[in-house]
Amino acid sequence: MQYTTDVRIIRLMCTGRVDPTMVAEAFMEGADGIMVVGCHFGDCHYISGNYQAKVKIGLASKALGYVGLNTGRVVFNQCSSAEGDRFVSQVTAFHDSICAIGPLGSAENLSLPALKDRVDTARTALASEKLRWVVGKFTEFEKSGNKYGEKFTAHEMWRTLDTIVIDEIATHGILKEMGKGAASVVELARRLEIAPPEALKYVLALQRRGLVGLAGVDGSTPSYKIVERPARAA
Amino acid sequence: MAEEIRIGVFVCNCGSNIAGYLDVKSLAEYAKSLPNVVLVKENLYTCSENGINEIKAAIKEQGLNRVVVASCTPRTHEPLFRGTCAEGGLNPYLFEMVNIRDQCSWVHMQEKEKGTGKARDLIRMGVAKAALLEPQEPIESEMDPRALVIGGGIAGMTAALALGNRGYEVTLIEKADQLGGLLLKLDKLAPSGADGCETVRKQADLVSRHPNIHLMTSTHLDEVNGYIGHFQVSATTNGAKTQFGIGVIVVATGANVFRPAGLYGYDGSKVITQLELEEVFKSGPFAAKNVVMIQCVGARNDERKYCSRICCMVAIKNAIEIKEKSPETGVRVLYRDIQAYGTENEALFQHARELGVIFIKYDPARPPKVEEGKVVVHHELLGREIDLDQDLVVLSTPLVAGDDNEAISKLLRVSLDANKFFLEGHVKLKPLDFATDGIYLCGNAHYPASVREAVSQALGAAARASIPLSKGVMSVEPIVSTLVDEDACRGCGLCVALCPYGALEIVRGEKGRKVKVIPVACKGCGVCAATCYHHALSVNSYSDAQIGEQIRAYLEESA
Repeated sequence: MQYTTDVRIIRLMCTGRVDPTMVAEAFMEGADGIMVVGCHFGDCHYISGNYQAKVKIGLASKALGYVGLNTGRVVFNQCSSAEGDRFVSQVTAFHDSICAIGPLGSAENLSLPALKDRVDTARTALASEKLRWVVGKFTEFEKSGNKYGEKFTAHEMWRTLDTIVIDEIATHGILKEMGKGAASVVELARRLEIAPPEALKYVLALQRRGLVGLAGVDGSTPSYKIVERPARAA
Repeated sequence: MAEEIRIGVFVCNCGSNIAGYLDVKSLAEYAKSLPNVVLVKENLYTCSENGINEIKAAIKEQGLNRVVVASCTPRTHEPLFRGTCAEGGLNPYLFEMVNIRDQCSWVHMQEKEKGTGKARDLIRMGVAKAALLEPQEPIESEMDPRALVIGGGIAGMTAALALGNRGYEVTLIEKADQLGGLLLKLDKLAPSGADGCETVRKQADLVSRHPNIHLMTSTHLDEVNGYIGHFQVSATTNGAKTQFGIGVIVVATGANVFRPAGLYGYDGSKVITQLELEEVFKSGPFAAKNVVMIQCVGARNDERKYCSRICCMVAIKNAIEIKEKSPETGVRVLYRDIQAYGTENEALFQHARELGVIFIKYDPARPPKVEEGKVVVHHELLGREIDLDQDLVVLSTPLVAGDDNEAISKLLRVSLDANKFFLEGHVKLKPLDFATDGIYLCGNAHYPASVREAVSQALGAAARASIPLSKGVMSVEPIVSTLVDEDACRGCGLCVALCPYGALEIVRGEKGRKVKVIPVACKGCGVCAATCYHHALSVNSYSDAQIGEQIRAYLEESA
């Protein structure tokens, strides 16, 4: 039973411990790939941690993919402590696929600092409250339904998560860009690589929440800035 | 925090297990260069008495306040080294283990250089985490020395008696108005031939007269709160509500027999179930001349994939009983596979054949057809259909999960399997425990069982339950969740909803709604810490900072 020397193992009590922001942070530190290995469903000492992990890692992959990271760099696998051969084949397969993808940044066509900056935006989005609730309730809504007994398929839940991921990343991207100074909607849209009407939608939403305000008007183009506010006002 | 971090690193050769494949000398040399490391020792076997003594001496003489051992695996050796630290006067949770055997020398046998490089990284990561470790104290909590048994069938009664006889107060809750459960409907029990009702009556008598057993029949379980040692139960008996506290719970809720409505012309008189056949036995002489039994009715199909396990033995037992009551009656058993494991059961199977019971295998793709006065079945060896005379057809149906299982699983926050039977904590290592501490299971609630198995399981579950009961005080590993930043917590309750163990609750205090960890119930999985968007919760020895530092320590060098 031999496998590649290119992996380093970090021991956790349960894959449920993996905060999706940890995955983003590991890429910001320069990891080329992250594999999270949990128990088989229904065969977990921690009962439901692996269900949580599957959704959390899936979400991390989506969010990171959305900002430009090759999603093949994030994998969730299942393997029991008695399945050494299975572990080896999973590590080997993952290693092969990472070798094919190449070092961080190469497959993404981005310089490392640019990629890390984008990953940081995804990280902020992954920490957001709304995503956490949907991720947390994913399995419950799928298996036993919400408060009103309505069940949702995994497909429907992922579609919901997709929308929120896109919203959160755009929102946090805008906040981050504005952190560097006031900017117009067109400028923000250019930097975030989204359509100006989309950017306007997010800027106006942030303005309604009192997070962003008018900085000034340059000719006929308004520019916006972050509103300094007391901690924890939202 | 001003305390200077003094880390001692012990690198093990493990004879040639590690030293044969890695350059241990260079590892030890390398460890000396790491931040906060004040002492590095290379041992032939760190776990030997010499190695252990060296660790203890170094803690005292070198003033070590963190110990890192780079050796085999925490699975077998972490408790030993933690104990060593404690004996040396260091808090055992200031110990970190690095696995250079399981993760390096064993799996990279042909790559000494690269394997050694990986071991270097692992040691650096371990040292980095060790610097952030914090001392932990074992968590202790008092035990309520009383037990609750849910279900008054043979399993529940046996468990209650076993616990009562050990001197613990037991409350036995049964939803029906009398004890006995499924056994009340059975005639004779194999292989002893004991009378089912008689067996139940004897046990029920012992239960009702037992000074330590508080019996509550016609009782519905409404609510269970709390955790091991501190459960609060509310129940309703004939409209009257009661509340009481207990320390452990045994689930013995039994199972139901599947009613084969619409299958094989089931009508309850000419086509009956094995359970109904037992009632025929009890009601008087046996009159049928030709009996055909069909196995696996409603079992091992798409809807119910599992084998109910006991039905083959039930059919064999009842076939023998027919032959004993009425030797002239022909008995044919149509089966898919015979499940009669165990010497006595195998012997009964042989005995049935000696008595003239004929066993015919059928193919589920070509199931038998019940027609007027006969059963038509495709005989695999003859390769054609044969007609079997019948004036009574008996269907062997599986045991199915109890109707209340879902409700009870929610009350107790324990898991069910795909077939809605209760799911044990671990299939091999914790067969009578739930994953949640202080809750145990036995009998048909878990999976179809014979009376003998149900009784063995009940005795086992009672033995498991009496471990915490006998302790008086529970002591738990302190690798649990903690509220590290109370101000950050907004009391949203997401973590409470996700905790698989009910180990979190929201309490209203001076600062408003805040989460509170119940450490004795917590297992340290960390779902809460990975979910909290304010990072108010953390897990001891697996904090965000500690994990982050390990990641950083790995990638800083290779970057």
